[in-house]
Amino acid sequence: MIDIKLIEECRDGNFNNFRKLVELTSPFAYSVSFRMLGDEDQAKDIVQETMVTIWQKLGKIKSAEVYMTWIYRIVVNKCYDQMRKRKRNPEFVADEQTWALISNRISEVPSAALENKETSKIIALLTESLSPKQKAVFILSSLEEMSNDEISEITGISKSGVKSNLHYARKNISEKVEKYL
Amino acid sequence: MKTESEKYNKVLNILRNSRPPLDSTEDIEREVINKIARAHQKRLNLSEIIDFLFGWVYIGWVRRSLITACVILVLVFVYQQGVILKRIDVISRQTVVTDKGIVTTPTDEIEKLLLGYKNLGRRFPSKTITISEKEMKDLLESVKELQIKYKDLENLIEGDPDLKKLIEQKLIENNRTKINL
Repeated sequence: MIDIKLIEECRDGNFNNFRKLVELTSPFAYSVSFRMLGDEDQAKDIVQETMVTIWQKLGKIKSAEVYMTWIYRIVVNKCYDQMRKRKRNPEFVADEQTWALISNRISEVPSAALENKETSKIIALLTESLSPKQKAVFILSSLEEMSNDEISEITGISKSGVKSNLHYARKNISEKVEKYL
Repeated sequence: MKTESEKYNKVLNILRNSRPPLDSTEDIEREVINKIARAHQKRLNLSEIIDFLFGWVYIGWVRRSLITACVILVLVFVYQQGVILKRIDVISRQTVVTDKGIVTTPTDEIEKLLLGYKNLGRRFPSKTITISEKEMKDLLESVKELQIKYKDLENLIEGDPDLKKLIEQKLIENNRTKINL
């Protein structure tokens, strides 16, 4: 994980250390934003914006311990904004053929990693009927493997809200997996 | 159900393992640095404008001159208020004329009363009252003349008791108001 000392030095205005912080933090921010948005360029934009916000407001966070939660919160909020913007133009249309292709691909790669485009397409299709909040909770919990407490901190949803959203998301995705894959 | 769970877990495992790699950390780092530099430049420009507009407050003699000007303006204001209040006091002692007639008069002198009526005629040029300057002078002249003639008549009656008695009798006969001679 990220060294607290490094964060403290950045809070004091050390720009060189901030470069290092960007290098260490960007992959986490990118992972969440890519899984949320399913678009490499938009995810990179979100990461850049997040890093600029971090530099501007790093001195305002109470302690370095909450740094990662804070970053995830910024990323998730920026992803919400982006999702709201493109709400009317869904990127993927789920038809039988698409599902069949995905099913074949998954059976081909039992444990190996998928390519970015494939990952984004699968996540988009599985979560298309979920609200942005449900999608965020599902990604943070099931894919980023965070605890409910952390998700509650990041999304601002109560713990019981996180549980119910996660339950709904899992049920919904599970039904789709059973039906199409 | 078991198959469904297995399928679901399999898909999730694949997605978890397919963490999107951020291959261009350096690009993001560079972009972030550029954005921060641009934001910093904007802040500098803003501070330059503020300095240009309000920088004079740091010049001692300008500050002192403005304080002096402020004090003078306050004194002038207070003096003006005093003059205005004095004028209001003088005006409030003068005749007040409304559309229903003269409300108050400072003295019971006939000239003032007539002047009031004249003003009334000026302020409300209705059909009821129209008195010109010349008419007013004539009226005042005739009143004075009348007063002189009344005095002469009084002296004449006082000098002749028979005449006085005769006039009194005539007045009683005509049922007129008794005049106190």
